[in-house]
Amino acid sequence: MRRQAKKTKKKNPMQTAFTRFMLIVAFFILWIGGIGVRLVHLQINQHEALRDKALNQRRDQIKSKQLRGTIYDRNNRPLAMSVKVKSLYADPREIEDVEAAAKQVAGVLKVKPNEILKNLKEAKEHGKRFVWLARKLDENAVDKINEELEDRNLRKFDLPRSPGLYWREEQKRSYPYQTLAAQIIGFSNADDIGSAGIEQSQESNLHGAVIKGWQDRDRHGRVYDESDETEEREPPKDVVLTVSHSIQYKVEQALAAGVKSSNSKSGMAVVLDPKTGEILALANYPTFDPNRYTEFSVENYVNRAIHDNYSPGSIFKIVTYSGAVNENLINADAEIHFASKTIDVAGHRFSDHHSRSSMSYKDAMAVSSNVSAIRTALGLGKEKFFEYVQKFGFGKPTGIELPAEANGIVRPPRVWQGDSLASMSIGYEIGVSALQMASAFATIANDGVRVQPRIIKEIRQADGTVFSATEPQPTQVVTAETARDVRSMLRQVVVAGTGKRAQLNGYTSAGKTGTAWKFNAKTKRVDSSKYVSSFIGMAPADNPSVVIAVVMDEPRGGARDGGQVSAPVFREIAEQILPEMNIIPDSNIQQETLTAEQIPSETESLVPPVNENILGWSEAENQVAGEQNSANQTAGTAQTVQPVKEANNGAPLKENKAPVESDKKGVKEKPKPKATAQTSEKPKAETKNKSSGERAKQKT
Amino acid sequence: MRKRTLPQNKSNKRHKRESNSIPWRYGLMTLFFGLILVVGFFLAARQHFSSIEFGMKNSKLRRQIDELESEKRRLILEKEIALSPSEIKKAAKKIGLTTMTASNIEVYRNNGQSGVKSPTDKNAATKPSEKPEAETKPAQPSANKADDKPAKPDKPAKTEKKASDAKKTSDQKEKTQAKTVK
Repeated sequence: MRRQAKKTKKKNPMQTAFTRFMLIVAFFILWIGGIGVRLVHLQINQHEALRDKALNQRRDQIKSKQLRGTIYDRNNRPLAMSVKVKSLYADPREIEDVEAAAKQVAGVLKVKPNEILKNLKEAKEHGKRFVWLARKLDENAVDKINEELEDRNLRKFDLPRSPGLYWREEQKRSYPYQTLAAQIIGFSNADDIGSAGIEQSQESNLHGAVIKGWQDRDRHGRVYDESDETEEREPPKDVVLTVSHSIQYKVEQALAAGVKSSNSKSGMAVVLDPKTGEILALANYPTFDPNRYTEFSVENYVNRAIHDNYSPGSIFKIVTYSGAVNENLINADAEIHFASKTIDVAGHRFSDHHSRSSMSYKDAMAVSSNVSAIRTALGLGKEKFFEYVQKFGFGKPTGIELPAEANGIVRPPRVWQGDSLASMSIGYEIGVSALQMASAFATIANDGVRVQPRIIKEIRQADGTVFSATEPQPTQVVTAETARDVRSMLRQVVVAGTGKRAQLNGYTSAGKTGTAWKFNAKTKRVDSSKYVSSFIGMAPADNPSVVIAVVMDEPRGGARDGGQVSAPVFREIAEQILPEMNIIPDSNIQQETLTAEQIPSETESLVPPVNENILGWSEAENQVAGEQNSANQTAGTAQTVQPVKEANNGAPLKENKAPVESDKKGVKEKPKPKATAQTSEKPKAETKNKSSGERAKQKT
Repeated sequence: MRKRTLPQNKSNKRHKRESNSIPWRYGLMTLFFGLILVVGFFLAARQHFSSIEFGMKNSKLRRQIDELESEKRRLILEKEIALSPSEIKKAAKKIGLTTMTASNIEVYRNNGQSGVKSPTDKNAATKPSEKPEAETKPAQPSANKADDKPAKPDKPAKTEKKASDAKKTSDQKEKTQAKTVK
């Protein structure tokens, strides 16, 4: 039996081996099955918890901000750009000895330790994990701090190798040209949010988004994997301006010199390409440095050329004459006859400086005749005049891509008073911005086609492709013939009128001077001691390539006329920028030393309207005043003058001496008050006092 | 039932013992697959660590790219600052250049002579007809050593003098007018 059993045993070795093998396989299957079950449990049931746990151990969340878009000038020179900088922060929970750390950090940063200590202590008490220590340091400062704060015994991969201290990447906005085009560019605040100028208006395009990323680190803190930030969000765009940094600099220099020499309160200048509406330069003085904007007065941030309204004065006559020429009421070479130097409209006397009995409209523009402009406007009529004012773009924003643009102040005819039309025709009872005025001149320069002024050439994506480009929208305001006629009138201003100082070397120029008394908000009347002196011109005169507007606010030097204060600045700017723009010289005029005698003065012909309180009055008040005036008109004030083809359909009109054609009607002459007897020998101050006295009488 | 038994003293070379050959085969197979497993683990581990290493290198390179890009931007900024008109002005002042004024403009003539002229002096620049005249009438060479200096033509000199006299008188007029205005 035993033998038989042995034999049987020996008989099945394969079976035994198989059995054993199967046992081992079963063991492995069980083992692997067990592992599998465990894995399933871990990976399915405990998936979330374990994943979070693992991520917490190895992964750091990082926040970074895309660099803000760059602002370029038209020649691709960066006017504003951002660079990466680092800021130092502390995690107080990781710092054991807060006092020692504060002392050490303060020593490196060269600040008083008390402030840092206070912040760290407070944060630690409240369990905060983040305290700023120093912000936006440059590379050199960062290297120095890293060196000085290095703790060789500390096993920390990131710099600075000091417990609880970390760097965070930030960005710093820099303006390499400092004060250049400061009011155009504006500035962005500490949080990189645009707060003025293009920085503010193009915030959506320039803004760099905050990107949340992650970094996987090993046990030594070395990064071995990280998210790809660039794929997460579209990068910010770059803005290309129409401004040329070179022209802008020249304009700013000329303006600053002009403001200083005339002792003006402030000044502004606009250089415009009339054909495209592109603004080549837009300067304000005083200005500021956007790199250190907190050190300057808030008033300096204001872009006065688009924000401030002012009474343009005689410069507005361009609208009056353009309207009349376009309606075929006058032409530049036609003669106008004057019976006297004054004209009465709705009880208000307007006067002139010149004493000629007749002259062409060209000459009337050249000597800035108020009487001529008023008679022209009265011939044009309220509605037509208002229509042209609107067509030239007054009373509404130009649409320039800058924030806080003023509408200007233009009242509708229904609230005008008796003398409003006369006042507006010579640039009172109306508020305009320098840009609006420049745009009106650009319309004349561009053969009557108004192109909306613009300052953004294009918006580019990060890879250089154009995202959007502004297309100019032209509008025909007056005919090309009218524009040429008006240009010839403006040319006469420079050749033989109040704007002689705007004559250029090598180029012909045309333009108009303007000198207006400023409105005083306190007295709600114009202030005869404060002026706004302006000159807006174009060059070359026949085919203008550039329109330059120069406005000086409150010149306090000897001369105050636009022709004396602003025209030289125009000349300075034009002579410098025209060769740079490759404009071929069209004249050999040599600048001559002009004497005061040679240039007709504009100041003495200044007679602002009685109710030059548009900037202070409410509409209701104006309406009431308008009704009273119309009542006065119906009371029987005689109409004496028909100076142009169409009859005046608005305010009553009187001249102290009736003109040649009205003499026949035999109208009684109003006695000429002494106050209006202005002659060139009389000192300006005396004239001003008298006219203000006269106004006071009329007001009562 | 009859049982067949083999004689114990008789060798049976024809028959191999099966029990010995089967475990070896399985053993070899186990060893082979075991080796594959080990090599697989080894390769996987190697791949894992090399991926970590590449990840580290990658992140270092990324950081380097970032740093270089920031450096590039910083350098562009520095360049623009250096090229800004105000900085150029400062640099020019440092090397001794002065601001251009009417008094320090030097007008160069075609014949190589130079002289300091005020911009209002138009004779040198605005009257080209005088220059050929001056050039066509060269001064006669003189034996006197003192006359070795390039001779100046008479007519332009006179006109210059006249012009300067005229300018002086006009300046005087201006001054008197300015006084009367004041």
